[in-house]
Amino acid sequence: MANQSPDRREVLEMLARVAAVSQFPGFVRWAFGAEDANDPMKMGTVHEGQSPLSAQQKPHVYQPQFFTPTEYAMIDQLSELIIPADDTPGARDAGVSEFIDFMTASDTTLQPRFRDGLQLLDARATTKYGAVFMKLPEDKQTELLRAVAYKSTSDTEGRKFFLLVREYTVMGYYTSRIGLEQLDYPGLKLYAQSPACPHEGDPEHKHLPPPRY
Amino acid sequence: MPKEMYDVIVIGTGAGGGMAIHTLCQAGAKVCALNGSRRLDPKKDFRNHRQPYDMKYRGFGSPKLRRESIGYMDNEYTEGIWEHDIVFTTAPGTEWTWRRCFAVGGKTNFWGRSSARFAEIDFRAATRDGYDVDWPISYEEIAPYYSRVERMIGVASTVQNRPSNPDGDYLPAMNFRCIDWILHSGGQKIGIPYLPDRIAQLTVPHAGHPGCHFCANCTEGCDVGAFFSTPWFFLPEAEKSGNLEIRTNVLAKNILTDENGRAAGVAYIDRKTKQEHEVYGKAVVVAASCVESARILLNSKSSHWPNGIANSSGQVGRNLCDHLYGTTARGYFPQLLGQPSFPDGVSASTIAWMPRWQNLENPKQEKFIRGYSVYPDGGCAGFPSYFDLIEGFGREYKREIKRRYPTPVSFYIQAPSQRSDSNYVDIDPVVKDMYGIPAARIHFEWDQNTLLMWEHGKQACEDLLHASGAEYLGAAAAPDIPGTSLHETGTLRMGHDPKKFVTNRFGQTHDVPNLYVCDASVFPNCTDKTTTISILAFSLRTSEYLIENLKRA
Repeated sequence: MANQSPDRREVLEMLARVAAVSQFPGFVRWAFGAEDANDPMKMGTVHEGQSPLSAQQKPHVYQPQFFTPTEYAMIDQLSELIIPADDTPGARDAGVSEFIDFMTASDTTLQPRFRDGLQLLDARATTKYGAVFMKLPEDKQTELLRAVAYKSTSDTEGRKFFLLVREYTVMGYYTSRIGLEQLDYPGLKLYAQSPACPHEGDPEHKHLPPPRY
Repeated sequence: MPKEMYDVIVIGTGAGGGMAIHTLCQAGAKVCALNGSRRLDPKKDFRNHRQPYDMKYRGFGSPKLRRESIGYMDNEYTEGIWEHDIVFTTAPGTEWTWRRCFAVGGKTNFWGRSSARFAEIDFRAATRDGYDVDWPISYEEIAPYYSRVERMIGVASTVQNRPSNPDGDYLPAMNFRCIDWILHSGGQKIGIPYLPDRIAQLTVPHAGHPGCHFCANCTEGCDVGAFFSTPWFFLPEAEKSGNLEIRTNVLAKNILTDENGRAAGVAYIDRKTKQEHEVYGKAVVVAASCVESARILLNSKSSHWPNGIANSSGQVGRNLCDHLYGTTARGYFPQLLGQPSFPDGVSASTIAWMPRWQNLENPKQEKFIRGYSVYPDGGCAGFPSYFDLIEGFGREYKREIKRRYPTPVSFYIQAPSQRSDSNYVDIDPVVKDMYGIPAARIHFEWDQNTLLMWEHGKQACEDLLHASGAEYLGAAAAPDIPGTSLHETGTLRMGHDPKKFVTNRFGQTHDVPNLYVCDASVFPNCTDKTTTISILAFSLRTSEYLIENLKRA
């Protein structure tokens, strides 16, 4: 408050405490899926340029709140097809299916959109390959997604569902710690000065180093 | 039992009320402040340091919150703080969104912090272009108050020597990011100024407050008080003076009058008990924000004031102005594709802006009168919200999201509406809020001049993107709906003639000498600048004038 002037160290410690307050039960991977997720050493003083890490909890098996086990497996597989693990972790590593299940369970308007969409995709799979989606090898699954993924498709119902699954996969992945780390998310870090453009002498940014990604 | 008598009753604790409270208490006046909701606890209520994955719904909010949210700022991080219970109505044809923060400190808890001074070109606009009226005050008169406010709250910027933007006493400016240098270069090619914003964010420790740590979530509240808000900057000192009592969770219902029609105090409702109470003072300051202040005056009817207190002019609630907000252009910078991430979001809003460049030398150079400003935004934000612009899925899709992360850019226009007879606030003849207080009814639509600025702004921003080597991706189909900016002005506008204006040049009502107004409702129009720093400067001036009058009485 006024007339108090906490020094920088006190401010940083305060921020670390604030970050430690948050805890949500019931999730295994989505909130904190990271290698050092249970490392209490990460909870101490925050150094400049670091993020205050969140509170952690012990892993257990996630119980879907809305989807049936079959539906849930399909959501999990779809999310991984949309954001696969490659040189960085994918949707499954980030627990995206847990996020989608939680959001769907809490939103009755979302429930029929997901459930009907999964049935639609199974129907497309049966028509084209004679088996439901999850019984198909991954290349066939990918083919089915390709058929509904692009603006050019004539399958408007299929595309609607694709865009829904993709939206929630992206929402789940890029708000998880894994997803944000994959983006090298620079927010919620602490700086002594407002960060300045590092490309002095190149205001138009026409002579940058080659793209890293 | 004799009535307890305060020197001054202040309605509201936001920028205007907070400044009045601070000034009055420091001068030794006994003040009772009425506030519509509770006090916030920075440690509990400000969740600005939580990562998205620390939030139950990842910051997207529960389905209920998403359904009922009043928009930007009313989100999972601030859930339960914005006012949802006090109803207002809109006239047929009016669209209006209204984010009200009734917590102690009001909207200063979450404000955007852009803090440019008004200028002589704003105060003398009518003389220049013939529309409406000049302000009853010159820049020279108000400039010292701006300087004092800037020293109190800390504003970061640079000296820029622009006719529409008088310079002030500034802390070191925020540093330009990559996107700023690119747009600055583009602006130089086509004559659009691209400069550091004036931003009330402490780039260095200031006046006993810690420097900013650039975490980027300012609009969810600052838990260390590194930007100005009245709970961090004004109210603690005022309470320490022993001269202040804040009554929380109370809604001002009407101004009480004595047998001569002067203000005697305020009747208010305790929101917990729903009981009505009265509090008495030698003077009353109304600072409940533009529309609420007009509502209180209109609801203060008596035999002396059949149309509402201080309303002999019939102008209370009239002349409502607002800033048109909207996304004038979106695009991305191909030159930044695949580059490493950079902390672009460190101020949560504006590091730079494009201050008014239209109609400066010649007031009728453009098809519209007056001018607008633009706020740019872009670079690495938290969530890659451009994900739906990319087709497909799989490894390529994931890679493309990563490659584009530093590249997005967009522009947000701030264009003033002009005074018109059809834009105003009155009292709904039927609807009352849950406490039985008649509701405000809003009549508003954008005028042609403002819509011409919107069109002009879209073209200017598209041109700037092209000049900056960016790819242009379009503009919003329409501007945001009125009320979005939270910059309402004009309902108790100041002017010399008591027949035409509610308040005089000091913010004192013409009709009732012990009734003062300390919010943006006194501004005759809204200019191209944000309102908070001017509310502070005008409130400081009004409060000191009030003290002089109290001493004389």
